[in-house]
Amino acid sequence: MKTVLKILLPLVVTLAVTAGAKEVTLLNVSYDPTRELYQEYNTAFVKYWKARTGDDVVISQSHGGSGKQAQSVINGLEADVVTLALAYDIDAISQKADLLSADWQKRLPDNSTPYTSTIVFLVRKGNPKHIKDWDDVIRPGVSVVVPNPKTSGGARWAYLAAYAYALEKYGHDDAKARDFVKQLYKNVPVLDSGARGSTVTFAQRGIGDVLLAWENEAHLALKEFGADQFEIVTPSLSILAEPPVAVVDKVAKRHGTLAVARGYLDYLYSDEGQEIAAKNFYRPRNQAIAAKYAANFSQLKLVTLDQEFGSWTKAQATHFADGGVFDQIYQP
Amino acid sequence: MKPKQKSKLNRILPAILLGAPAVFSFLIAAHGETTNSVDAAAVQVPANEATVADTNSAAVSPAEAAEIETLKGQVEDLDQKIRILDRHRELDKDDATAAAKTQPILKLDASGFTFSSADTNFAISLHGLIQLDSRTFFSDHNLINNAFLLRRARPIISGTVFHDYDFNFTPDFGGNNGAQILDAYINYRNRPELQVEAGKFKSPVGLEALQSDPYCSFNERSLVTDLVPNRDLGVELHGDLFGGAISYAAGIFNGVSDYNGATVNTDADNDKAFAGRIFLQPWKTTGVNALKGLGAGVGGSFESDRNLAAGLTPGYTTDGQQKFFTYAAGVVANGQHWRVSPQGYYYFGPLGILGEYVISDQEVSRTVAPLGIADLRNTAWEISAGWVLTGEDASYTGVTPRHPFDPRTGHWGAWQVVGRFEELNVDRNAFSATLPFALSTASASSARAWAVGLNWYLNRNIRLNTSFSRTLFSGYNGATPAVPAQAENVLFTRIQLAF
Repeated sequence: MKTVLKILLPLVVTLAVTAGAKEVTLLNVSYDPTRELYQEYNTAFVKYWKARTGDDVVISQSHGGSGKQAQSVINGLEADVVTLALAYDIDAISQKADLLSADWQKRLPDNSTPYTSTIVFLVRKGNPKHIKDWDDVIRPGVSVVVPNPKTSGGARWAYLAAYAYALEKYGHDDAKARDFVKQLYKNVPVLDSGARGSTVTFAQRGIGDVLLAWENEAHLALKEFGADQFEIVTPSLSILAEPPVAVVDKVAKRHGTLAVARGYLDYLYSDEGQEIAAKNFYRPRNQAIAAKYAANFSQLKLVTLDQEFGSWTKAQATHFADGGVFDQIYQP
Repeated sequence: MKPKQKSKLNRILPAILLGAPAVFSFLIAAHGETTNSVDAAAVQVPANEATVADTNSAAVSPAEAAEIETLKGQVEDLDQKIRILDRHRELDKDDATAAAKTQPILKLDASGFTFSSADTNFAISLHGLIQLDSRTFFSDHNLINNAFLLRRARPIISGTVFHDYDFNFTPDFGGNNGAQILDAYINYRNRPELQVEAGKFKSPVGLEALQSDPYCSFNERSLVTDLVPNRDLGVELHGDLFGGAISYAAGIFNGVSDYNGATVNTDADNDKAFAGRIFLQPWKTTGVNALKGLGAGVGGSFESDRNLAAGLTPGYTTDGQQKFFTYAAGVVANGQHWRVSPQGYYYFGPLGILGEYVISDQEVSRTVAPLGIADLRNTAWEISAGWVLTGEDASYTGVTPRHPFDPRTGHWGAWQVVGRFEELNVDRNAFSATLPFALSTASASSARAWAVGLNWYLNRNIRLNTSFSRTLFSGYNGATPAVPAQAENVLFTRIQLAF
């Protein structure tokens, strides 16, 4: 009898667990350069979720310019979570499609930005054009590669970083700052729609002298193409880029994925999530892990969006809306 | 830029960059500006950044080196410009590709005109069917007009909304029944196995009746179709299982009389009809080619009518569309009406055979003296066969010519010969001497016919056909001339446009 029980009991338990377990599919709609980060993170999360709940999670990723991705979600792309380049794009999803509440940014720590980044310069090996800071980027004869701020979150951060530098340099003289970025965009021969496209333009197509890049994207280019091809130049001042994350409530509810979607984003704040972010050259919020990976990140003065531009809503309306400053200064 | 051109450019550009200084040096030497002979091939330029001045400093003066540097800079500028133009073209192409994914699709071909969203979740199609016939009757004592007629004239609008909902709207302006709505339905098609159709459409009973008009072998359907329902209003569950090996349909309908060309848009009584059909093609998805086109099934219907004149057929008609049987005045449908129709077809290569048998059993009563009721069982059968002379495959959904008709290229479309035997028998009790439900002085009790025809498919859209049909009647005892008084001999022709 005991032998029979020994055989049957594990079988029954296994069957019960198997019967209770389910497979959940999650779509993470993200911005351009996060492919590698989320590939690694997803693997870790799937293991974590399986151990915690017994459920299998299949995570799909979608990447593109942050603004374009937000518009796709507004147009019906069924994202369970969004991990975009800037808060304004998630605000747009909330306002235009009413898929999540307006206070989404208060749900998670640090304004729902589990990691940060900034904008740096990627130049060709040996830095033949001697680019050291933003002043060098606007010099005549320097060809600059950066994506289109209308469609790319990274490009908006880059634009604002240049603008913030100019404001600091000219004592917050807005006219001079505007002229500064105008000079910069005069040097831009190609506007890609997303950060990854600009990396291709610069690194693979051999165009331009400097790429205004996400810090993580610049490091990735070094890893992928070799440190003998490019080098990173850290400007004296840049902007603290805060890419936020959010559950798309209505879609997740409809899919029955609310719990796993929340778990997915919460796990970004865990030690393992923060480690993965740091390894992929995103600046972690966790100070201990940030200290551990300090060598990955240059020290520079970082201004915040709120300090220099008030808010994303204001920055968007002033600079990137149709007829805004960017439209006025950029002549293709 | 095409990949080949791009690859060529990629090879040429470094060559220009590397070779230009050497070429310039050679040109300078050739102009005698230096006494040293310069062998262009011997000039080594290790990389883009290397200069002639570095490697041949002994041979080139500082001024010349500066000039070369300037030229090199110009070449580099040109290289960047070409790369930028190239990248712009690449991005334009990407944008065009992305835009194409969101642009509506406009398609016009032999299947009609279709306008759909990029994801095809929404589509609307415009199709049409025009049939211009001639009927010439022989030995009919000029009883029936020989005529050209517009048999069918149908603009057909069909489409899809929200991916899963198909619709069809088909009016008909041809024939003798005036303008009418033939089909108007919505079909929910989330899965092919389980679909729900609601509206006005063909009742799922008769095999020949369910065949789409443009694909019928003859101008007119056989006597079998006289006994099955035409289009009806209702809701139907239907689907295809195992890749179409099993097709089923079952629905609830208003209920209509035996085949009536004039369809209606409402119900004549409070009772409903149930109709269904199952059709099996067991080898459809197998590799057994000789049996792939074998299908057999059964359709049927059941309904109750109470003192309903409209429940009875307005008349059974011949191939030539002449009435040879009608119920007597004062006879109504009153009781159960059921039909059953075993049916099947076989298509293999150019051969096509279709057969069907129908029983239409109806309880009727006389509302005028002498009063009485009867359960009348009318039956019909047909067998038709065809052979595509030009070798194309025959099928339930028509023949597609391998080569459309074009005398300039010596192509003649597809040609098919067809033949048919058919018979319809009215229950003998209908002609009872003591309790008649039909009069032998006005109707025949039986019609038997044969027909042969030739179909010419010029292309997928245009078909010409001609056929001869002879129908013999029995049981008629009335005066002559009248339709059932002598054999019907009719020659049909047709010009058909279907898209």
